Amino acid sequence: MTWQTLAFLIVGGGAFYTSGKRFHILYQMLKAQKGKAPKFSDFGERFKNAIVYVLGQKAVLQKPFVGIAHTAIFWGFIIISIGTVEQFLMTLYSGASFEFIGEKPYSALIFSQDFFTAFVLIGVLMAAYRRFMKPPKYLGQSSDANYVLLFTGGLMVSIFMMNAFHVLGSDPTFKDSYFISIHIANALAGLNFDQDTNHNLYTAFKWVHMLIVLGFSIYIPGSKHLHIVAAGPNTFLKKLKREKGITSINFEDESTTQYGAAKVTDMSWKDSLDLYSCTECGRCEELCPAWNTQKPLSPKNLIVDLKKNLHRNKELILAGKTEEVSHVIDDHVTEDVIWACTTCRACEIACPVFIEHTDKIYDIRKNLVMMESKFPAEVQAVFKNMETNASPWAFSPSERANWADGLDVKKMADVGSAENLDVLLWVGCAGSYDDRNKSVVKSFVSLLNKAGVKFAILGTEEQCTGDSARRIGNEYLFQTLAKANVETLNRYQVKRIVTACPHCFNTLKNEYGEMGGQYEVIHHSQYIANMIAEGKLKSTKPINETITFHDSCYLGRWNNVYSEPRAAIESIPQVKIVEMRLNHDKGMCCGAGGGRMWMEEHLGKRINVTRTEQALETGATTVATACPFCITMINDGMKEKDMVGKVKVKDISELIDETT
Amino acid sequence: MNLYVCIKQVPDTETKIKVNGDASGIDTTGIKWIMSSYDEFAVEETLRLKEKNAGSTVTVISAGPERVIDSLRTALAMGADNAIHVELPENADSNMAAKAIAGALKKETGVDLIFFGKEALDDGAAQVPQLVSAYLNIPSVTVVCGIEYNGNTLKCKREIEGGSFEMVEVSTPAIISAHKGLNEPRYATLPNIMKAKKKEVKAVKLADIGVSSSDQKIKFKNYQLPPPKQAGKKIEGDAAAQAKALVAALHNEAKVI
Repeated sequence: MTWQTLAFLIVGGGAFYTSGKRFHILYQMLKAQKGKAPKFSDFGERFKNAIVYVLGQKAVLQKPFVGIAHTAIFWGFIIISIGTVEQFLMTLYSGASFEFIGEKPYSALIFSQDFFTAFVLIGVLMAAYRRFMKPPKYLGQSSDANYVLLFTGGLMVSIFMMNAFHVLGSDPTFKDSYFISIHIANALAGLNFDQDTNHNLYTAFKWVHMLIVLGFSIYIPGSKHLHIVAAGPNTFLKKLKREKGITSINFEDESTTQYGAAKVTDMSWKDSLDLYSCTECGRCEELCPAWNTQKPLSPKNLIVDLKKNLHRNKELILAGKTEEVSHVIDDHVTEDVIWACTTCRACEIACPVFIEHTDKIYDIRKNLVMMESKFPAEVQAVFKNMETNASPWAFSPSERANWADGLDVKKMADVGSAENLDVLLWVGCAGSYDDRNKSVVKSFVSLLNKAGVKFAILGTEEQCTGDSARRIGNEYLFQTLAKANVETLNRYQVKRIVTACPHCFNTLKNEYGEMGGQYEVIHHSQYIANMIAEGKLKSTKPINETITFHDSCYLGRWNNVYSEPRAAIESIPQVKIVEMRLNHDKGMCCGAGGGRMWMEEHLGKRINVTRTEQALETGATTVATACPFCITMINDGMKEKDMVGKVKVKDISELIDETT
Repeated sequence: MNLYVCIKQVPDTETKIKVNGDASGIDTTGIKWIMSSYDEFAVEETLRLKEKNAGSTVTVISAGPERVIDSLRTALAMGADNAIHVELPENADSNMAAKAIAGALKKETGVDLIFFGKEALDDGAAQVPQLVSAYLNIPSVTVVCGIEYNGNTLKCKREIEGGSFEMVEVSTPAIISAHKGLNEPRYATLPNIMKAKKKEVKAVKLADIGVSSSDQKIKFKNYQLPPPKQAGKKIEGDAAAQAKALVAALHNEAKVI
C-alpha cells in the first residue's frame, strides 16, 4: 500500500462519510415533512423534461450570457467527473486506469478532459465577470457563490497544472491528447525542474484537485450549491402543465387538525426539495411586482429564509419533535411578506429549477387565516360579504343580474337546461356589480348577440367562484362557494362556459374539477378571437389608435393565453399595437391578484401606478385589458398619473364591439 | 366569570326588504340572516374577558324562531362555550323578547356580566338591554365603547350626544350594551367553526319561563317601505341665481324655510 492509498483511504473515506451523513440528514428532513405532496405520474414526459431542461439547460439559457456560462460549467463537470472518478480509483489502486476501454477511446477521454476543463474555466470566468464586474441587482451578494466560483476555478487550474506536470514528469503515452495542458507544460519546461520535482508537483496538484473535490462534497449539502443535486430531481418532478390549482383540503377528514402551514414542516417534501433546489440566482426577484415596488417580499429571500428556518429546526425535526418546531412566520418571513404576494407567478415561470414559490405562500396564508384568524383587517368584510352575499362586494344577491335589465340576456332558470345553448356566460362579481365592468360585460353580450351565439347566464343563482377567498387562504369559504356553484352548473347540465374574468376562468377551469365540476371553460378573449376567425364577427370600423395590451396574470402566466387577445385587437383596421417593456411571461401584474384586490397597499410604491407608467412609456393612446381587476387597477393608475381622458383603458370586448 | 352575551339575528344589510302579505312585518323569504353587527362587539368583548380570566365561560343567548340557531353557532364559532336558544315568534316586540331573555337568564346561576349590542340593525329599537335590566333588577350601561375592568367594578366609556363621552362606573352583576369602537370582532378560526357545528344548543320554551303572547305589547300593522329616493337636483347659473333658486326650493318644495 502506497502512502497515497493510505492517505486517500483516510481523507477520502472521512470526506465521503461526512458528506454522506450530511446528505442523509437532508433526506431525513425531507421525509419528516408532513404536508400533502402532489402525486406524480407520466414518467415518460418527465424524462423528456429532464432531457430538455437538465441536459439541454433550456430554462437556464433564457438568459443567454449566464446561461451559456452555466451550460459550459454543467457539461464540463459531467465530463470531468469521469476523469475524477478514474483519479480516485487510481489513487486507491494504480492499476485501475480506464485505459482498458481502448487506445483511441482513452485518448479521446483525455482530450475531452482537457477540452472541458477549458470550457468550465471559460464558464467560471464569464460567471465571475458577471458577478463581480457587472452584477445584476437581483443577483445579490453571496459568499457561497464566491466560494463556489473560487473552488470551481481552483479545480480547473489544478487539473491543468496536474496534467502539465504529468506530461513533464512522466512523458505519458497519450501526451498529445493533452492538447491544452501540453502548451502549459511547454511553458513550464522553462523552469527546468528535474524529473522528480515535476513528478512531485504532479502529485501535489493531483492532491489539490482531490482535496477540493472532497471538500466540495462536504460543503455542498449545507450551501446553495446543493442545487447540483436537488435541481435535477426537482425539474423531473415539475408540474407538467402550466395550469394548476391550489392544493385542496379534505374538510371531511376529521383526523386533520392542522390546515395550511404553521411550521415549515407542515409543508410537503416537494416543498422542501424546492428549498434545496434554490441557487439564489434571483430571476424570480427580478420580475416580482412586490419586490420591484419596495414591498418586503422577494421570492428569492422567501425561499432562502424558509430554508434557513428548516435548518434552524434541524435538531428538532431529526428528533421527531416536529410539534416544537418554530413558527414559519419569523423575523424574515413576516406576515407583511406573505400578504404582499399577488400570486402573479412571475417568479415561478422565471425560475430555472421550477421552484413553486406561491405554493408556500398559499400554505402559510391558509394557516394564518383558518387557524389563527390573522389577515389584513379590511379582508374580514370581504369574507363576510362572500359568506352572506356570495360576492366580495357588499351587494344583495337579488341584484346580481340587474345589469342585464332590458338586454337580450336569458337566465338559466328560464331556459331550463344548457343542452340547447352554445355556451353559458359566467358574469362574475365584477361584471355583475362594478359599474366599469358591467359595461364590459354588456359589450361582450353585444358581441355574442351580433354573432348569433345562443347563451344564457345563471343570474341570481351565480355566486362568487371563491378565487379571492382561496388565494387569501380561506379554503373553507372557497369550497363552500365552489360546491354551491358546481351544484347549480351541474343541475343545468352546463358543459361550456365563457367568462370575461380571468380569475373566474382560472378557477372554473383548473380548480372546479376537483369540486365535481368538469367544464370546457373559455376566456372571452379566446371566444372573441374565435368568433373573428370564424367570420362571425368582423371589425370594419377603423380606429386610429396605438394600443398596448396589458397581460392579465391569470390569463397569461397561469393559462398561457397570450395570442388570442392580441389577435382580436390586431383584427381592428388601422390599429397599431405596441408592447410594453414587460410583456407575455414577463408581463407585470396590475397588483390585484391573489386577493390583493381587497387589501390596502400600505408599503412601497403602488404596483398599479408602476404598471401604468410602463404602459404610458409606450406612447399608446389606449391600454387594452382583458380582466376586470386589471381594468380597475390601470384605470386607477391613470387617475394617479392624471392621464384620465388622455389615454383610454378599455377591455378588448369594448374595442371589438365599437368597431363591428 | 360567568359571562353572558345576548344576540339578535337580523337580515343582512344588503337585503332588499319587502313587506309581507298582510303588512304585519317583512317578507322573510330568501333573506340572508346575520348576527346584528353591534352584537359582534358584545360577543368579542366577552371572549376577550374570558381569555383574560381563566376559568370563565361565555354563554350566548338568542331569542327568536329556529333560524336564529345559525347565529348562535356563529357566536360559538367565534369562541363562546355554551348557547341557549329561547323560542320566540317572528314578530315579537321588545318587551316580549326582553322578558324571554330575562326568563332564560333567571334560570342561570352566578351571572356576572351580560352583554348586548347597543341596538339591533333591523328595528334599531335599542330597548331590550334596558328592559332586561329592569326585569332582572340589575344596572345597565348603554352605548359603551370602552371598558376598564377592575375586579368587580367596570369603568365604562359611553358615547353621548354631540360626539362627547362620559365615564360611568358600575359593579357586577350588570348589563353592558356595546357600541362600535369597543373592539374589533374576530373572524372565527376553522377548528372553532368545526367544533361549533357539534356543540349542543340548549332550548328554552316560553312556557318554561312564564312568557306568553300577552307579553306582546305592540301589534304591528300596515308596514310600508319608505318612498323611493328622489333624484337630486342640480341648481345651475351664477352664484346669485343659484342662491335665489336654492331659497325658493327650500321654501316652496321642501317647505323648511
